[in-house]
Amino acid sequence: MKKNKILITSLLCWSLGLGACHQELLEPNPESLLTTANFFNSAKDMDQAVLGVYSRMQARKPGDYLLLEVPTDNLYLSSNTSVAGAPELDVLAPTSANPLLNNFWISNYNIIFRANSVLNNIDKPTDYKAAQKDQFIGEAKFMRALTYFDLVRVFGGVPKVTVPLTRIDESRQVPRNSEEEIYNLIIEDLKDAIDKLPVQTSIARGRASKAAAVALLGKVYVYRKDWPNAKTYLEQLFRDFNYSLVPNFANLWKLTTEDNSEVIFALKYVEGTNGHGLSTDFIPNAGAPGVVDRGAEVALPSWSLHKKYEEGDTRKAATITEMWRAPNRPNDPLVWLPFVSKYAVPHTYGASGLDLPVLRLADMILLYAETLYELNQPDQALAQLNKVRERAFGDAAHNYSLADIPNRDAFIDKLLLERQLEFAYENERWFDLMRTSRYTTVMTAEERIYNNTTKTPLVVSLAPKAFHKYLPIPLPQIDQAAPNVLAQNEGY
Amino acid sequence: MKKFTNGWPYLACLLLLAGPGQGATASTSSSVAAARAAVRLVDWEITGKVVSERGEALPGVTVLLKGGSVGATTDANGNFALRVPETAGTLIFSYIGSVTKEVSFSGAGAINVTLSDDAKALQEVVVVGYGTMKKSSVTAAVAKIENKILDQVPAGRPETALVGRLAGVNIAQTRSTPGAAPLIRIRGAGSIDAGNDPLVVIDGFPGGSLGQINMNDVESIEVLKDASSAAIYGSRAAGGVIIVTTKKGQTGKPKLNFNTYYGVSKPMLHDDWVTGEEYYNYVVKYQNREFAWAGGDPSIPVWGDPRRPAQYQVNPIIKEEPQTIWQDEVLQRAPIQSYNFSVSGGTDAVKYYVSATHNGEEGIVKTASYKFYGVRANVDVKVNKIINMGFLLNPSYAKRRDAGSLMVSLVKYPPFVAPRNPDGTYPKARDYWGQNVTSQANPNGILNGTFNTSSALNNVGEAYLSLELLKGLNFRTSVGTNISSGSSDYFQASFATNSGSTSGSASDYRTINLLNENTLNYNRTFKDIHEVSGLLGASYQQSTSRSTSLAAVPGSFNNDIIHTLNNAIINPAGTSSYREGWGLVSYFSRLHYAFKEKYLLSGSLRADGSSRFAPDNKWGYFPSASVGWRVSQEGFMQDIPAVSELKLRGSYGATGNFNIGNFSYLGGITSVNYSPNNVFAKGMAQTSFGNDKLKWEKTNSYDFGVELGLFQNRINMVLDFYDKTTTDQLYNVAIPAITGFTGTLSNIGEIRNKGVELELNTKNLTGDFKWSTFFNVSRNRNEVVSLGGLQERTVTDTYGMSWLLRVGEPMFSYYGYRTIGVLQNAEEVKNSPVLAGSKPGNPKYQDVNGDNKIDPQDRVILGNFQPKLFLGMSNDFAWKNFDLNITMQASLGAKMYTFENQSYQGNVLGAMRRSLVETQWWSPAEPGDGKMPAAALSQLNFQGASDIYIENASFLSVRNLNLGYTLPVGIAEKFRMNSLRVYTSINNLLMVTDKNFHGYNPEGYTAGEIGGVNSMPGYNANGSEPINRVFTVGLNVSF
Repeated sequence: MKKNKILITSLLCWSLGLGACHQELLEPNPESLLTTANFFNSAKDMDQAVLGVYSRMQARKPGDYLLLEVPTDNLYLSSNTSVAGAPELDVLAPTSANPLLNNFWISNYNIIFRANSVLNNIDKPTDYKAAQKDQFIGEAKFMRALTYFDLVRVFGGVPKVTVPLTRIDESRQVPRNSEEEIYNLIIEDLKDAIDKLPVQTSIARGRASKAAAVALLGKVYVYRKDWPNAKTYLEQLFRDFNYSLVPNFANLWKLTTEDNSEVIFALKYVEGTNGHGLSTDFIPNAGAPGVVDRGAEVALPSWSLHKKYEEGDTRKAATITEMWRAPNRPNDPLVWLPFVSKYAVPHTYGASGLDLPVLRLADMILLYAETLYELNQPDQALAQLNKVRERAFGDAAHNYSLADIPNRDAFIDKLLLERQLEFAYENERWFDLMRTSRYTTVMTAEERIYNNTTKTPLVVSLAPKAFHKYLPIPLPQIDQAAPNVLAQNEGY
Repeated sequence: MKKFTNGWPYLACLLLLAGPGQGATASTSSSVAAARAAVRLVDWEITGKVVSERGEALPGVTVLLKGGSVGATTDANGNFALRVPETAGTLIFSYIGSVTKEVSFSGAGAINVTLSDDAKALQEVVVVGYGTMKKSSVTAAVAKIENKILDQVPAGRPETALVGRLAGVNIAQTRSTPGAAPLIRIRGAGSIDAGNDPLVVIDGFPGGSLGQINMNDVESIEVLKDASSAAIYGSRAAGGVIIVTTKKGQTGKPKLNFNTYYGVSKPMLHDDWVTGEEYYNYVVKYQNREFAWAGGDPSIPVWGDPRRPAQYQVNPIIKEEPQTIWQDEVLQRAPIQSYNFSVSGGTDAVKYYVSATHNGEEGIVKTASYKFYGVRANVDVKVNKIINMGFLLNPSYAKRRDAGSLMVSLVKYPPFVAPRNPDGTYPKARDYWGQNVTSQANPNGILNGTFNTSSALNNVGEAYLSLELLKGLNFRTSVGTNISSGSSDYFQASFATNSGSTSGSASDYRTINLLNENTLNYNRTFKDIHEVSGLLGASYQQSTSRSTSLAAVPGSFNNDIIHTLNNAIINPAGTSSYREGWGLVSYFSRLHYAFKEKYLLSGSLRADGSSRFAPDNKWGYFPSASVGWRVSQEGFMQDIPAVSELKLRGSYGATGNFNIGNFSYLGGITSVNYSPNNVFAKGMAQTSFGNDKLKWEKTNSYDFGVELGLFQNRINMVLDFYDKTTTDQLYNVAIPAITGFTGTLSNIGEIRNKGVELELNTKNLTGDFKWSTFFNVSRNRNEVVSLGGLQERTVTDTYGMSWLLRVGEPMFSYYGYRTIGVLQNAEEVKNSPVLAGSKPGNPKYQDVNGDNKIDPQDRVILGNFQPKLFLGMSNDFAWKNFDLNITMQASLGAKMYTFENQSYQGNVLGAMRRSLVETQWWSPAEPGDGKMPAAALSQLNFQGASDIYIENASFLSVRNLNLGYTLPVGIAEKFRMNSLRVYTSINNLLMVTDKNFHGYNPEGYTAGEIGGVNSMPGYNANGSEPINRVFTVGLNVSF
């Protein structure tokens, strides 16, 4: 019938001349496409827009290791797979043309744009339920702060964008803000988020809660070396919220126990329909029995880290699997082929459902230990450090004593070691090396492949540079800005 | 009225397809009856035969007694019989396209007549937008090609037959999968984002696809190359216009025509695959090299020595049988066939052409196939002196299955794997050796376990009514539809996937395109000197489409038996339905004036309104103007008899481009996924920036042409210069990512195409042995004029190769490092400017800016995918009843990024080609040829962005050879046939490429052509299918 109508209309149009049909032909209704003109009208719209913010972070997170683990002593690239931009990071030779850096920049500003869109349109709907509007504001600000925190730690000062930029010519004129200014924005956002976000029990897992904002703010203050404030917020976290370390470290990395008492904020994934590739990326090319029949084998664990796990540390088996056989050859003998198995849950290739923690209590405890030490409370700092160790070894036998930390350097060594063992492949190592200035000494050589027969590692010499503290601003972004607007970091 | 009533039985029998015999009888009887009525009792009987200059019998010649009412027409064999009163008189013989001849007689008997061709009447008529025009009056660059043997070129698609036969039109067969559409570029590409495909107009319906038609039904194809001719199609004509005219019935007895061919496609293959011991040795070198880079000692035995880590070992099993060459395993000789059956004919009142076609081919890659079924009916009815009406209907159905993988994954599989296990399963490389080798599935498994099928049902239909309002004034209105619907199904069995999990999807679409066009045409010649034609028109077009798609959760199929999604769990992230549409309102006019056929003037104006642009910018205006001077008509030229035709013409025109998505000017909000509480949920996010200023992309073209005919047109030459500039590019301009986006569609930038093209037609020999040549050569220079403030923009691939848009350079030039050798050892690495992290074996690059380091500032332009020059030549030979056509094509100056090569250099210990491994750097002791670096998967970042894989894609080919024999008329008649022709047609008889070119097809790039700012044209990443040499024999019979 519709066809006839169009036909008759167009014939009529023609005979009567112009007019009515023009509108029908020239202004069709976008039937399947929402637009900026008709979205952001209801609380439901805003809820979906907030999910959109998480969605982008959820997409970015699984690839972070290429930028934050590959150039450390935790991981090296397998020769079996090639990811553009990763090899130069593996040899500590980052350049501004690195596509991984550009993608990281693009992803983060996309998250920020989505968060800004939420904040910008938050007053439009009028049908909010109680506290719903506050929750959305809190979530958007938390996510914006989290994203800027990643940006500022990777690049240093970056352009501060807090409203959607709608004019392209203006966007070309936005220079970098100072590190200070970005941190101020992060802190401001998190404080507001703390005020507005509900507690964990009132909001779905995978969305930000009040505790997440408190924890993140505590961590931010540690990076600022603002120890009193760090102490305030970390203690608020321990005091006001009911988080605890899970007794068995391995349970953090299982599908059945991924929601637990330790994870404060995690990105949620569902196998198949909304999964990630991280579980697959570390699996040997031929797969791993009970995990997946084929792996991507992008990177393998470095001996530099591997060797540091002491006898009895339960984190070793939950992080690295040493002996391997192909899933389709169950009768073959196991061979020595260490691979990262932290994320090795049974999964569909490239679509794992294992959640990826962003903030977990063990991190907060170790940050608290560091804070206490810097506030001249070494015994209390030691107690916090030992909490994490005790959980790892199952008893207090491996606890450190004050004698183990005669001076600050020794403490930082122990703390960094603990963080490396605890958070291996959770994208903390690069930042830890940088903020403690250990990068240039630690990374001069990396033990990568270990020959278990000859008991010798293959050692690769590297040339870490102090200026690597900030990775280069991506060249395409400098080119997109007006000339001399976006300054490059020193050394590149 | 009589003719009117006569018409209906034809229509009726046509519709019932009851056979044309009835029509034939009616036709003959009516004319005989008419003749008899006028005959007196005592007559002279005059008989005879009418033939053409070339001795062909002429059917349908009107024979009239001068001053009397007696007449007859010749039959199919040119014979006539006539009874006239017993008195001397004159017979008038008239025939379209021949000079009317008068022959006197003075008694009964035989009169045989030869009619000479009427040069004036035979003047070619070309189809232009919304009308036709005498070729001599045309002031624009229009190329015409008639279907003489085009339908005998064995190819699934009609475009293939046009290769090399049109100047300025480059037709590149980038993929040789069954039914794949070639790429057509008319006078270069001018648009970055909005597409460069020409507008296809089939029997007046704009916006069709050449895939919908069958070459057997085609009468002629016209290409409107310059904007003065294309501007009448305004809004969509920036890529040029291809007008297809299908066959119409002719007055006369029904003609039944059957055309068929059958043949075999044979792929052109590589012959340097290494196997056995040689393969093993290269694997050892490859592993030793990796081991040495990792700091190991390559002198440790490669197998069984625990001092060598497992990932650097080489299992000797790899040199054992069967040593399969996978290229030969997955490719095959494939049959191709075509059958076409048509009936045409008519009377003065009704003319019809009805045909049915089936053609099909199997892929040279096993499991691929393509089948086409089509029916066509073209009917024209002359109701009375004033009213004409008619319709055409062309339903067609095409079905294809695509191979489960691109070439690379199929042919790079290692040789030690058997094609198939005795139990029918497919062994994988990892079944032989659990480590280091590829974990990909068996190529035979991929092919046999992947069911990638699609089908499309199309119908183009149109009905028209035309009224001759006054002498020379014609009104025509038509309503047309182009309805297409199709579906795609995909299923991959677990054994066909690398990960071992099944996958599947299904999708459907339906597009309804409605068109109403109304034109008023005026065409008259006053006092024999003023030739005037005018056109006024209005056109309304609307397209609505709906699509749905479903996907299975990966691995959720319960088994490999049922391939439809009821056997799986539906994936909400891959499931959607979508509706959209667009509309176009157009008004157009054209005026043409010729004075004494000497001075020609033409102008047109079109206004288009499109739904795709922002509210204030929906309308675009496309004017054109052209002039011509037929110098040869001037008095002073009559003294130079050698020059039979000389025309100078110049034109200007504007055309547009609206080939962007619907609603692109709006900031679109689309759904994105997240899973709070582990429950899949849809979020929303703005995914396009939006631009409320979006408007037409416009191309302004100038053309200057010379047409020259020498020695009674035995030599014909057409020379054209053109210069076209596309402005307001619908260009996805890059924007700072801090906006949240990386680009947005804007009207920015300017691209210019300048070129020259020459066509030369010569009749070299005209005696018993005839030889004529058609030659064409075209050169196009493409240049980025502006990028809206930016000087350049690059898009960079995974491994570093960039494609450059830079002001002053051709679009999408390859941009990377220039190699000057290979870094031979650690010392050379240390003492040379190198890419950060380089090691021995990596390429040594030219330090262009001399700053003693290699970084992106050292990149240079490494060539371009567009040919600098392309040539075509078609030679026709005829001797007695034999005829031979040879069509050649050459393309010069194009470069291809044959990144495919790296797959055959040892990666994941796959199949290797000798020419790609023997030159490599393996160690300081085995440095290779000093040009090819250590090509390993782990090193691609060090060599991808360089000229190592840039290869010369120039070629010369004999695209088609057609040798035919036509049975002498006398013999044919004995078999009750009008004519019979047998032929053999061979495609791609010869293909000559650069000796350093390693691809299967010099036009075969796999990453697409220009289609947005992130295009990587010329990139052969995954291996294009080999070119096929196709041998066919065919038969063309008419009754």
